[in-house]
Amino acid sequence: MKYTLTIITENKPGVLYRIADIFLRRKINIESLTVAELPTISNPDQIETNAIGASSTSRFTVVLTSNEDAIDKVVKQLRKIIEVIEVYASTDDQILYNEIALLRVQCKNKNEAKKLAEKILQYKGRVMYNTAQEYVFEINGTEDDIQKIVKDFQQFSIQDIALSGRTAIKKEIS
Amino acid sequence: MNKQHISGAEAVMKGLLAEGVDVIFGYPGGAIMPIYDALYDYKDKLRHILVRHEQGASHAAEGYARLTGRPGVCFATSGPGATNLVTGIADAMMDSVPLVCITGQVAANVLGTDAFQEADVIGITTPITKWNYQVTRAAEIPEALAKAFAIANSGRPGPVLVDITKNAQFELFDYEEIAKEKKYQPKPLPKIDETLIKQAAELLNSAKKPYMLIGHGVLIAKAEQEVKELAEKADIPVGSTLHGLSAMETDHPNYVGMLGMHGNYGPNKLTNQADVILAVGMRFDDRVTGRVKDYAPNAKIIHIEIDAAELHKIKKAAVPINADAKAALQKLLPLIKKNHHKTWLEAFQACQQQEHETVMKKELYPTQGEITMAEVVRRVSEKTKNNAVIVADVGQHQMISARYSKFAKSDSFITSGGSGTMGFALPAAIGAKVARPDREIVAIIGDGCFQMTIQELGTIAQEKLPIKIIILNNNFLGMVRQWQQLFFDKRYSFVELKNPDFVQVAKGFYVPGEKVAKREELDHALDTLFKTDGPYLLDITVAKEDNVFPMVPTGASAEEIRLE
Repeated sequence: MKYTLTIITENKPGVLYRIADIFLRRKINIESLTVAELPTISNPDQIETNAIGASSTSRFTVVLTSNEDAIDKVVKQLRKIIEVIEVYASTDDQILYNEIALLRVQCKNKNEAKKLAEKILQYKGRVMYNTAQEYVFEINGTEDDIQKIVKDFQQFSIQDIALSGRTAIKKEIS
Repeated sequence: MNKQHISGAEAVMKGLLAEGVDVIFGYPGGAIMPIYDALYDYKDKLRHILVRHEQGASHAAEGYARLTGRPGVCFATSGPGATNLVTGIADAMMDSVPLVCITGQVAANVLGTDAFQEADVIGITTPITKWNYQVTRAAEIPEALAKAFAIANSGRPGPVLVDITKNAQFELFDYEEIAKEKKYQPKPLPKIDETLIKQAAELLNSAKKPYMLIGHGVLIAKAEQEVKELAEKADIPVGSTLHGLSAMETDHPNYVGMLGMHGNYGPNKLTNQADVILAVGMRFDDRVTGRVKDYAPNAKIIHIEIDAAELHKIKKAAVPINADAKAALQKLLPLIKKNHHKTWLEAFQACQQQEHETVMKKELYPTQGEITMAEVVRRVSEKTKNNAVIVADVGQHQMISARYSKFAKSDSFITSGGSGTMGFALPAAIGAKVARPDREIVAIIGDGCFQMTIQELGTIAQEKLPIKIIILNNNFLGMVRQWQQLFFDKRYSFVELKNPDFVQVAKGFYVPGEKVAKREELDHALDTLFKTDGPYLLDITVAKEDNVFPMVPTGASAEEIRLE
């Protein structure tokens, strides 16, 4: 079963290493891991205070495949890490999630370029840069969406793909 | 608080004193020299024990922590100094022993350049510490140290490491002692769930065959009295893990013996008959459970455990109580009804009888042949009136020490359990003796183990520590040889040792001693050992191929414990 772990931590050096080691030790295969420092927000009527956090916290989103028992144990081990503020596991039905992909695609001629531009529009992509022969654009969606979209762009010459990994937020506050 | 302009190194001294540290086990080197220089002015306040190998420092710090309940402190330099601490740190992590390790590190501006004696200590020790931190500015030191001590000894204790770059040690800054309110506060434990306490009481009160399993957590929480009261009130048999030994007096009528692979017969065999198990401060380690799916399959388990990650980890608990053992038992006791389980306890006594007849009699009272390990261990208990602290190393002698020692009071058995680190006992005994000079410290060590940390004899001589050292010498790596005999067709692959003359070696270190080869010599040698006003070593030749029984072999269930 696919699980998404959300881990809120203090933004301190070494935390990523400690977290990664929990997975490494148990030979858990990570599909994606993203982490970013959260902006400082002071919002008097925010509900999930911890999730947004005080100054200098980081939010990890880790996607992996496991079972309920193993995930439960991993969550408990993560919770022991001194810098971890909050951690929970979610299944896909419990969260809203998305991923961004940046693609660099080349086209041979004006015709192809037109087709390429239309396709980008079709998938609600955002062109970040382009020349006559090359487009760099962003698309977003679930992992499956992105897989399908990338497949469709294979008719052109894909030079490079960068994936952000999943980021997720709970559907409802339980 | 008035500010002082001092070096980072001096701030380390002040930080340690602020935490009530009085002893440091360490070994200097280039990257930690500023700290050692600052220590020179503090040597009347902080006793530094110079070991002979940093591993010795880490194990000594463990022995110290085990007997004081306070973090053991060790110093090492960068590179190999720090990596030499790794075994002891890993050992402390497995056995929940609080350590604060301070390592010197190369200057911050050369980090990551493979500088002389540089090692990625933070990277290396991350998996084996509760927390670690690299200090690169002097101003970080007070907070880092305060945090280190708080983390080491809160919740489930464990080792922490603070790596201090050389420039931070030299750097001058305005030092201010951290105000109490500003100090790092570890996450508090959740409040004890009263509903769970009630459920636990109901289960115990209505149980037909209740069984209490005690472990290290009872000693850490100092819950010996509560365990005793509960056992007596509800008339429950109590079995102990290796690390729980001596929490309950060996001769107490409710104490039925040791659990686990080489534990006592009854405590293992009767586990699966129990309908309610009260597990206090123990983690259902594989040495205790044997085949997990066949361990207490019918019992409802009440698990009192301070580390939430241990609840449901190996055995699903019907009543998981995330709490300190003492606090939880104090809440539970008033709800426990006075009860009697005479027949159930008699079952344990019957097993005890059987074990005595089949195994113990011939080990304790041999009439011929070579000296057995058991008779040495039992004589030690007798001579010290069950009051000594036994520090056991790892192997057959360890299991025999655990099985045959008698304990009259708590905190009387120290060994490396979860890691089973050979070489643990000699340095750990150093820490133990420094911690409690009033107690008789007896290190019982195998001939293989002894050679792993033998150089700490130098520390013992230099510090004039009256540690009683007993080598149980069979010229073999006994435990491995036993397994090779039982499971590998007696193919003794590289387990036979040509040992040195240990007495001569000890003499070379200025530690007196004698060799004992015959049973008739034993009593007098032990008397000399205990009467000598200083360290003394006995090299006792024991039977070459004796095996430790009973045994629950790997893959078997605890119920399938073999008497021979």
